[in-house]
Amino acid sequence: MTSSRIANVGLVDHSRVVKFSFDGRTYKGFEGDTLASALLANDQMLMGRSFKYHRPRGPVTAGPSEPNALVTIGKDARTEPNTRATVAELYSGLVARSQNAWPSLNFDIGSINGALSPMLGAGFYYKTFMWPAAFWEKVYEPVIRRAAGLGKAVMEADPDRYEKSWAHCDLLVVGSGPAGLMAALTAGRAGLRVILAEQDFRLGGSLLSETAMIGGVSAPDFAAATIAELADMPNVTIMPRTTVFGWYDDMVFGAVEKVQKHLAVPSADKPVERLWRIAAGRAILASGAEERPLVFGGNDRPGIMTADATRTYLNRYGVATGRKVAVFTNGGSGYRTAADLSARGVNIAAIIDSRAASADFAPYGVRVIRSGSIVDTKGGKRLSGIMTNRFGYDEMIDCDALAMSGGWSPIVHLMCQRGARPVWSDEAQAFLVPDVGPLFAAAGSAAGHATVSECLRDGAVKAHAAVEAVGRLVGHVNTPEVEGEYDPSFAPLWYVPGARSKAFVDFQNDVHVDDLALATREGFGHVEHAKRYTTSGMATDQGKLGNVNAVALLAGMRGVSPAEVGTTTYRPFYTPVSFGALAGTARAEQSRPIRTSPLHGWAKKNGATFLESGLWYRSAYFVQGEEKTWRESVDREVLNVRQNAGLCDVSTLGKIEIFGRDAAEFLNRVYSNAFLKLPVGKARYGLMLREDGIVFDDGTTSRLSENHYVLTTTTAYAAEVMAHLEFASQTFWPDLDVCFVSTSDQWAQMSLAGPKSRAILQKLVEDDLSDASFPFLAAREVQLKGGLIARLFRISFSGELAYELAVPAGYGEAVADAIMEAGRGEGICAYGVEALDVLRIEKGHVTHSELDGRTTADDVGLSKMMSKNKPDFIGKRLSTRYGLTAADRLQMVGLKPVELDKPLKAGAALLREGVEPSMTAGQGFVSSACFSPHVGQWIGLAMLKSGRERIGEKILVWDAVRSSEFLAEVCAPVFVDPENLNLHV
Amino acid sequence: MSIPFTHRHILEDRMSGYEPSPNANHLTVLRRPVIFSALAHAGHEASVAEALSLVENIVVRSVSPSDWLLVSQNAEAGAIAASLGAVPGLSFAEQSDGQVLMAVSGPDVRKILAKCVAVDLHADAFAEGESAPMMICRVAGNLARTGTDTFEILVPRSYAGYVFDELREAGREYAMTRGFGE
Repeated sequence: MTSSRIANVGLVDHSRVVKFSFDGRTYKGFEGDTLASALLANDQMLMGRSFKYHRPRGPVTAGPSEPNALVTIGKDARTEPNTRATVAELYSGLVARSQNAWPSLNFDIGSINGALSPMLGAGFYYKTFMWPAAFWEKVYEPVIRRAAGLGKAVMEADPDRYEKSWAHCDLLVVGSGPAGLMAALTAGRAGLRVILAEQDFRLGGSLLSETAMIGGVSAPDFAAATIAELADMPNVTIMPRTTVFGWYDDMVFGAVEKVQKHLAVPSADKPVERLWRIAAGRAILASGAEERPLVFGGNDRPGIMTADATRTYLNRYGVATGRKVAVFTNGGSGYRTAADLSARGVNIAAIIDSRAASADFAPYGVRVIRSGSIVDTKGGKRLSGIMTNRFGYDEMIDCDALAMSGGWSPIVHLMCQRGARPVWSDEAQAFLVPDVGPLFAAAGSAAGHATVSECLRDGAVKAHAAVEAVGRLVGHVNTPEVEGEYDPSFAPLWYVPGARSKAFVDFQNDVHVDDLALATREGFGHVEHAKRYTTSGMATDQGKLGNVNAVALLAGMRGVSPAEVGTTTYRPFYTPVSFGALAGTARAEQSRPIRTSPLHGWAKKNGATFLESGLWYRSAYFVQGEEKTWRESVDREVLNVRQNAGLCDVSTLGKIEIFGRDAAEFLNRVYSNAFLKLPVGKARYGLMLREDGIVFDDGTTSRLSENHYVLTTTTAYAAEVMAHLEFASQTFWPDLDVCFVSTSDQWAQMSLAGPKSRAILQKLVEDDLSDASFPFLAAREVQLKGGLIARLFRISFSGELAYELAVPAGYGEAVADAIMEAGRGEGICAYGVEALDVLRIEKGHVTHSELDGRTTADDVGLSKMMSKNKPDFIGKRLSTRYGLTAADRLQMVGLKPVELDKPLKAGAALLREGVEPSMTAGQGFVSSACFSPHVGQWIGLAMLKSGRERIGEKILVWDAVRSSEFLAEVCAPVFVDPENLNLHV
Repeated sequence: MSIPFTHRHILEDRMSGYEPSPNANHLTVLRRPVIFSALAHAGHEASVAEALSLVENIVVRSVSPSDWLLVSQNAEAGAIAASLGAVPGLSFAEQSDGQVLMAVSGPDVRKILAKCVAVDLHADAFAEGESAPMMICRVAGNLARTGTDTFEILVPRSYAGYVFDELREAGREYAMTRGFGE
């Protein structure tokens, strides 16, 4: 045993044993452990293999910045790769596995990469795998990915729930160490709405591993008492296990709460993770500081970790990381750790201090090597000794763990995510937070303070500012006395010269000093270039430990200050966030809102197959009897509508009610055709243009009374048309008396089409529906038998005698059922949007397949819809420009393949007969196509250059996607009833 | 031939198997409220708002400075239409079938709704009697505070099933029951 638990030390509950497994072996830890602390207590220092060289690695931190101890936690569908063992809360039944090692963690074949390392330097992919180019995607990349990597995601669907929530507060405090607690206490006592967020499962931050006394009690006791007071305040919300990962516009912070990640079997009633969007009036960053590793030869062996981590494992978890621990430091932190270890009976092998002199006290009897350095280490899966060097004199010292301290860096990430760069301080030898304005302030060691008492005071001071800013009185908060502080000063030491083996800068990506030197030599010395070239600072830890060393090393190599090198760009997320949390409830069917038609139930019981149309699910076709293909159903529906009658759900069309004295004038200006004289009780087809003269949308508008119209839009453009009308009313013509409201959801609307539709409908309607009293384009309220008031429109998209009946949505299904029942004797059928599409193509009616944002009214044969008499309407001026009136524009025509069995497909290109098929020879394209049971072959609508002059011409239909090529005849775009006789029966 | 058409609520299919006795946190779907859109013509905004506050048996939900939703649990549509018709500068359209009204209540109602709306529902920010249009479960709707721990939601009918499903999930953590109510 070299690392072990010390009885009754720390904040873990020694009476509550927690069993877990790692790589198939069962271990025991205590409640309050992390996976890393529990493994260390069991002398399992080796926790992973490195990314590129597969070197054995143990934890180097005891917190969220961990680059090495990444494991896969969970099993089956609940498997989560790349979890940091240093923050993973231990629970009973936890199953963890090591990553990136094969066949096992102890014996990993991939470690041969270490021997090949001269060939695997920075940029080796770019240089080595250049030729042949096709090999990159198919051979090189897959092989490299297999050899180098982290954990693997599982392919099973995640069985757990995730959700998102909003929170609002006057003050958000990020971090619950000394500064965060005092800030929350100060603001909480003053009555502010405070949120205190802490990424750890236990609040207290650095106080949990602090040995100094605060206000006469131990630091953890001080933290517990403060947290208890905060928990009693109704205006304070404490959020443990919550990592604030991003700072966004308008003081909105993103945070992720691990609600049930510490439970073996999560409750199905709660999410496992919850994504918070916290809208804060002000915020205080109390995220603390990170201790820096030292860059020396062999600095990555398991057992080498930061002095702070060593101390945290000791004081918080009661775990000694070794039996004989060496310390390598450039400041007071190493001495503090040595003192704590020594007090717990752990042997200190030596303190190697890079400084020539300091006022720090070593524990009694401990040897201090001043002006010393470490140039190499030895050991396999665990450190066994260090090679020290002092003025050229090498000395091997046996030890089984090393605590290193290279000084401290404030954790500035959140403040730097919106463009502000951290500011280099020569005095602090660190990058400090930038000034991002009064709403977001850093406090405590995040603000560059080092001692506990400074941090406590600074938390209170920063909170005072927030309290005063919202006009509240600041209550009195005493800053307690702190006894037993240490001297936190340190002397910069970025690189320990004389390394005899690799000196790692970025542990996670296996980037060592030579890689940075290579990058600098080859012209990639800019910090952003060096990052990409060497991968320093990439992957899951984003260089939280190594970046500052990399910057300082680049600065040293270039002979400039770290200020000049600067940092790479900080971006959310601070630590990795699962995709599940980002998706929240928006997954599978719930991934976006679903709109349900009032006739959905009717369609379903009539056998509908649905298709997605925007947010709607529309009935596409209705399978009956033995029908095996959709074509059989659609052909039957089409024939039946033209022969008997059919009922179709058109509830999804947009409906806008228009009111006002000037409604007629308003419509006259937004439509290209005339609307001023539309009589009450009549419907009219209308075409709207955009300002640029291109067709925007079409639909019918009916005048229900003198100053009341109802306008319909296509399903897809309902919201756009509403916005267009509002915009025109509010900005172009505020003088016109007109107002609008959408009633799309109020009405169930159904189209009853076919020669027998009148006879069927008359059975349900009290009013006389004869052609004389309810002619084509009549539109008015009618009374259904039983008294229900409905809106009836005699309009047709199919070209047949047809009606659209609108009833209040809740009655839709009952009315549709009654129509089907009434029409049974007449052979009525339900038909869907596929049949509707065939019916309209047969009649040459356009949809957004033709009105695709490029076509003018004339292009689609609707030039009559462009009023010559109106002084103005939206789109009139620009519709006359040359480009829109040129004779060689694409014009809508009909198409019929010459050979009857050729299927025409929308999207196919049109070419002159006999030319070599190519896109440059294109003459147009097929916009809509269908099989017409009336014509007995596939037909289509197409946009063809000068198309109307070319009726009768044979052209080549070339479909490169589906590899087909055949001749078709250009014809008029009407295939059924060209005289419109059926409409007026 | 007289046909008694049955009126169906869009959430009827979702209610089968709902808990018979409501828990502290409960979602009530109001079965047949009477709802109107009211629109003030330009220049009449203030007088229409004033007149609406005097119409009996309705509560007024604000949609925009010239646009309201009126909700009634105890008046006939015809009677309300008659009152509205007498207000100068006002146009209106019935939306009883176009909007679905749901009430969420209980001690955890704010925590439940925090998962659905981005608006701060603290009483200092959104007091009793206030209403506002907002995204509710990714759908444009209207939210009103009708009591300390009671809020009412209006969403377009076609979206109601989706919003109901999202609300049900949001309330699961707090054992929120749901059912029709008057």
